Amino acid sequence: MSLVKRYSSKKPYLASLSRRDAIKWIGALSVTAAFPGLTACSSQALAPQSELAKGHWPQLELPVINATGYGKDPNLIIAPRASWPRTLTAAQLTFIAIFADIVAPREGSVPSASEVKVPDLLDEWVSAPYERQQQDRVSFLHLLAWLDEEARRRFDNLFVDVTASQQLAIIDDIAYKKAMQSEEFVRPAKAFADFRRLVLACFFCSPAGVKDIGYLGNVPIVGDYPGPSDEAMTHLQGVLDELGLTL
Amino acid sequence: MMEGQINGHDYDVIVVGSGAGGAMAAYTLTKSGRKVLMLEAGRDYDPKTETPMFKSNFDAPLLGAGNSDKDFGFYDATVDGGWEVPGEPYTKGEGSEFLWWRARMLGGRTNHWGRYSLRFSEHDFKGFSRDGLGADWPFEYWDLAPWYDETEALVGICGTNTGLDDMPDSPEGVLQPPPKPRVPELLVSAAAKKLGIPTAPMHRAVLTRPKDDRQACFYATPCGRGCSIGAAFQTTTSLIPMAQATGLLTVITDAMVKEVNVDEKGKVNALTYIDKKTKQAHRLDAKVIILAASACESARILLNSKSESHPNGLANSSGHVGRNIMDSTGVSYGAHIPALEGRPKYNEDGHTANHLFIPWWGHKVQEKKAMAFPRGYHFEIGSGFRAPSSWVSGDLDGYGKPLKEIAKQAYGSYVGLALRGEMLPNDDCYMEIDEDVKDKWGIPVVKFHWKWSQHELKQVEHGLKTARQILETMGAKFDKPLPKAEDAILKGGQIIHEVGSTRMGDSPTESVTNQWGQTWDCSNLFVMDAGVFASNPHKNCTLTIMTLAMRNSTWLARQLDKGEL
Ligand SMILES: Cc1cc2nc3c(=O)[nH]c(=O)nc-3n(C[C@H](O)[C@H](O)[C@H](O)COP(=O)(O)OP(=O)(O)OC[C@H]3O[C@@H](n4cnc5c(N)ncnc54)[C@H](O)[C@@H]3O)c2cc1C
Ligand code: SF4
Repeated sequence: MSLVKRYSSKKPYLASLSRRDAIKWIGALSVTAAFPGLTACSSQALAPQSELAKGHWPQLELPVINATGYGKDPNLIIAPRASWPRTLTAAQLTFIAIFADIVAPREGSVPSASEVKVPDLLDEWVSAPYERQQQDRVSFLHLLAWLDEEARRRFDNLFVDVTASQQLAIIDDIAYKKAMQSEEFVRPAKAFADFRRLVLACFFCSPAGVKDIGYLGNVPIVGDYPGPSDEAMTHLQGVLDELGLTL
Repeated sequence: MMEGQINGHDYDVIVVGSGAGGAMAAYTLTKSGRKVLMLEAGRDYDPKTETPMFKSNFDAPLLGAGNSDKDFGFYDATVDGGWEVPGEPYTKGEGSEFLWWRARMLGGRTNHWGRYSLRFSEHDFKGFSRDGLGADWPFEYWDLAPWYDETEALVGICGTNTGLDDMPDSPEGVLQPPPKPRVPELLVSAAAKKLGIPTAPMHRAVLTRPKDDRQACFYATPCGRGCSIGAAFQTTTSLIPMAQATGLLTVITDAMVKEVNVDEKGKVNALTYIDKKTKQAHRLDAKVIILAASACESARILLNSKSESHPNGLANSSGHVGRNIMDSTGVSYGAHIPALEGRPKYNEDGHTANHLFIPWWGHKVQEKKAMAFPRGYHFEIGSGFRAPSSWVSGDLDGYGKPLKEIAKQAYGSYVGLALRGEMLPNDDCYMEIDEDVKDKWGIPVVKFHWKWSQHELKQVEHGLKTARQILETMGAKFDKPLPKAEDAILKGGQIIHEVGSTRMGDSPTESVTNQWGQTWDCSNLFVMDAGVFASNPHKNCTLTIMTLAMRNSTWLARQLDKGEL
């Protein structure tokens, strides 16, 4: 895999879906800088507080999101995209863009996750005032802070500013099942796994991703539903033979 | 609308609710020349202009994922409803869990229901006679069969005659042809066959041939969003406009019925509703009233309609209003099927729900008393190359190209079996009025009490074992033991097949209505939703709600002709 570095603090990810007027680089992804306004308001630290001896896990105090949702009767034809304010900073978005492209990089003509605006979707997601999204927000923001702590510890720099191979060196420790065995990586690996699934979901939902995964539906058919293709039936027959089954 | 000018006496019948039961009653009565006024608590709703048919999840907030505003996803047709309705709470007794789904919109839940439409069979109407549990219905399958024929023909149901003892045949020409089964369904079918369990085309209220001004399905868009072309049955594209075309139906939306009023003799003579827009209460004179507000909501209206002559609520001299509530049992069990990994792609949308399913196969064994539980269940099959959503299947690991490969290989290789089973009524499952809590319209709310019995738990245990056997026969591997029935069974109300709160029967002391949905206590008051069910067979209830509403309002029209009401 090529290790092209697309984004850094000098080259931030530019959010396109939001109506943000100015994108300002805020600096280090430390608790104070990256989460402005994080005073000692009600703590939402849903982060797993297990008794792990090894490793580190940031303890962020995140302000509660109490924006209103889209309600019980939104316009379904002209969908109210992000009816709540986006909350990620440029630094976090850039971070997520790097992360998303590690998860789903460009492959030939198939664009990468950031190219199909996955960071914008994630911004919408973690800023949403619903339960599942709020839980993800807490988990993901802790993961980002953890990655930054780890980059500082290992390479004395921000995660977004270390080299691509240094970024991967950290990711490699939490992206594989084997990582689960090392105590210090249990929490970040769990958060990584959830984040990864969501990044992939956003990617596969995009028009390019729909093609990439091979979904062929959502097109009207005139006449009867044709059923499985010949190729699909031949394959099924092979499966049946192998399992000793008959139709 | 001009409530001020509405006079209930101008109408032969007032129908409360516009869902499956209410719309069928209104249709039947207007077709037989009766003037009908329909009151609907929800807003007006037009599927022709409001249905997001072809939108992709990418276009929706949060990839269309469900949340507390839209439980079944952003594009689900339910508006102003769901498990929670703002300002309209319900409460639960201690230790009870119950979920109450309500759709406050014209057409009610028919705008987004699954459209599974299975006839009840002989067994289903006479459960008590077979095993001594619950109650028999006050008629036989053969009394209802002709009405099923008519309802199926009118609604438009696709499926086939199978000859299976759980699936009574329809007359030649009634059912429309079902769509071809898909690969995962065929694999389930082959595995089930090896275990001696038959599969069958699901019967669905989906047109595969055009009918009146409704078009045939084009096999592309999730029916839960609604169907603006009318192929998936909903009353807003069929029965309501058809009834309106007679010129005899008037509909008032945003009209929340609070209570039914009686004269000094205790006979129904009016009802009171709140106009949700002005928050004003209105009293309408009424000659005949049909409650079809959905089972628990109709029972709520009755219990809230207290008077000197009906101190325990209207039509409740038996004390049975709010009792005998049942839902279907529900469990989901599924697995990744290695043999389906990386299989050839094709368009697997079909009519976007089950083409095949597993009907109940155990009647013969139960006759011999060789099954550990009474009554049956069926399995609905979940599978397929679905539109990408906020969940990605697969045992994901790593990142980059190899990760994407895992996800692509796993796509379409998961098969889930959803059990839907019969529940028996029990004394721990009932609803009552919570005297301390009112909704935002000032109407006292419902308090639910719920507990599954051993019958349901044993049935679910059997279902879990069977599901696992079928999946294993398909090549699935399991590394965990089966979950316990009490942990796996879904909550009461969660399958959204609640029935029985105003059950019918042969005797005024044991039931709320007679076999025509006519309340024993008030001859001009009827219930035409699932409240009247005497039992809750595993087959989804709505086809039978509509069939009964058609039969019973035909009878009601005849009574009006004879001047009996
Ligand atoms: C997601 C989902 C899937 C389902 N799938 C299936 C399926 O596949 N097969 C099946 O058979 N069933 C299915 N069901 C169940 C089915 O929708 C219901 O059984 C059926 O719609 C009930 O019809 P009804 O007329 O009694 O009530 P509803 O359709 O709920 O209609 C009642 C109407 O009355 C109105 N109302 C309520 N209270 C008042 C009041 N006080 N005053 C005035 N109006 C009032 C409501 O606003 C509503 O419009 C499903 C339900 C859901 C939610
Ligand atoms: S799949 Fe067919 S029936 Fe269902 S909504 Fe689409 S067109 Fe209508």
